[in-house]
Amino acid sequence: MNGTASQRMLRILAAWFVVGLFALPIYYWITVAFKPNRDIFALPPIFFDFDWNLSSFEEVFGISFGFDKGLEVLPGGGNFYMLPNLWASVVIAVLSTLLTVVVATLASYALSRMRIPGQHHFVFFVLSTRMMPPVAIAIPMFFIYKSFGLLDTYTGIILVHALMNMPLAVLLLKSFFDDIPTEIDEAALIDGASRVLIFRKIVLPMAMGGIAATAVLCFIFSWTEFLFVLTLTQTAFKTVPVAASTFVTSTGTAWGNMAALGTAAMIPAFVFILLVQRNLVRGLTLGSLKQ
Amino acid sequence: MIVRSGLEIGQAGDLQRRKAAAVAPKASRPDGPAKRRRYVSDTPWPWLMPLVAILATFAIYPLFYNIWLSFQEFLPRKRQLAYVGLENWSTMFADARMWDALQVTLAYTGICLVIQVVLGMAIALLLDSDEPGFGLLRGVLTLTLVVPPAITGMMFLLMEDAQFGLIPFVLKSLGLMGAGGVILSSPTWALWGVMLADTWQWTPFMVLIFLAGLRALPKEPFESAMIDGANAFQTFTRLTLPMMWRVIAIAVLIRGIDLFRTFDYVYVMTSGGPGTATYTLSLYAWQQTFSFIKWGYGAALSLFTLVIIVLTANVFVRVARLKW
Repeated sequence: MNGTASQRMLRILAAWFVVGLFALPIYYWITVAFKPNRDIFALPPIFFDFDWNLSSFEEVFGISFGFDKGLEVLPGGGNFYMLPNLWASVVIAVLSTLLTVVVATLASYALSRMRIPGQHHFVFFVLSTRMMPPVAIAIPMFFIYKSFGLLDTYTGIILVHALMNMPLAVLLLKSFFDDIPTEIDEAALIDGASRVLIFRKIVLPMAMGGIAATAVLCFIFSWTEFLFVLTLTQTAFKTVPVAASTFVTSTGTAWGNMAALGTAAMIPAFVFILLVQRNLVRGLTLGSLKQ
Repeated sequence: MIVRSGLEIGQAGDLQRRKAAAVAPKASRPDGPAKRRRYVSDTPWPWLMPLVAILATFAIYPLFYNIWLSFQEFLPRKRQLAYVGLENWSTMFADARMWDALQVTLAYTGICLVIQVVLGMAIALLLDSDEPGFGLLRGVLTLTLVVPPAITGMMFLLMEDAQFGLIPFVLKSLGLMGAGGVILSSPTWALWGVMLADTWQWTPFMVLIFLAGLRALPKEPFESAMIDGANAFQTFTRLTLPMMWRVIAIAVLIRGIDLFRTFDYVYVMTSGGPGTATYTLSLYAWQQTFSFIKWGYGAALSLFTLVIIVLTANVFVRVARLKW
């Protein structure tokens, strides 16, 4: 499909242009975080030549009031101090990822290696939980959590995020375990090693790359999740996506602060996604397509 | 750790020693019941228990609770739930707004799927090359996938702002839009405004999956097609598409599920408005429960959404013979 030099040039230009279009909103959003209000609302929109300004970040991270006066209400009605919410996001994403990966690793090893009656149906059931709309879990969960006192708690959100990521983790990890030849297990079994020993000493080390990729994806999906946090928290804490939506106040939207928080939320996700490039498509397709 | 054969388990990867060690137990297998028992007692349940427990508590129990809730309704005067039988369900099927929401959801899902598959395939074909820098471009495309959808919604809320938004500004200067510049508060265009955010965020999803599929295609059929003088269009429709159907089916399934349950974008960008122009089923169910305190009705709506998705997706998986 390689044509003449001019065709090749055209293709390269087109590719850069198209990808540039997709990158543009992210770049634009980051500039909003650094712009003074005057430049955010300027027409025509300013892309490069604006006054760099860190005040949005200072408000969001509490730098301008010494990190601690989180309850200060700023003009405009909103409180923009978001460091506690970033911390809540990190805690929830890390702990729910840990829970998901531990549970899913055990289960997917069994699904990959052992003979289980109705295994096909079970895998299908796991896949079906991926199809359930979050709203159909969030509504009953609200009432269940309310009666168990889990509403507005870290535990509640961590558990529900773990459930949300479970189908992805189980199916993806199963595909990684399936890639490891079963002859290795069988040889060790014949040698008298127990399942637990084989799992710990042989299969787990070999699947480490896949487990890391799964963990990264679970972290990202918990980090970006919106509906469960919106529904199942009240006043104790919010994760970043939900916290950002509170910047829309009655007197107008604090675009600069929102963009600053949004930018801060994107950076860790960007770093993580670049780490799993090699396994990304496999992750996005729940382990059914290998790169 | 030393196991019975005398082989240190850390060296189990060592082929020579493993083979040598594997011979002896095999020969002595009939009179080695202890070893056999290990095989037999090799039960999967301890491994699966934590997963089953989580799925039972956080998927099955809420599901049944939801079903129970859909037969109840909250009575504001008595401040408690009461059994109302099938009332919520009969209300739902007679509710014009529910049918509107279903229509919006179906339109949203269908239009976004078509646009994202076509655009995704076009960009994937464009990027399927080893030109210098294309790896970087593929990397940049993945970035849109990890922006929290709620933040994406706000990005586009700003960019589609009638007064100082980037997109109306560009459209106006190109003469494609009237002076008003209204997108998200126009009943005609609001849904398209939301779909733009969705398409921006998820077209790269299609691109990456299709690219992986294209890269895995065998070279020979394409070479012989070129020798036979097939043009690019024929090669694409007769070779690429049929060989890619499984990849496309998987992408459509996963994206279709997520599109049908869209919540974040509409909640952040339009809250369903103007009027009912952008109410999706998920948003309608959520609002009935939490804004209008119709707990049972919201539950019925969310179950209806669930049934549609799970049934359609399962049929799709069977028909397309996808395997996991």
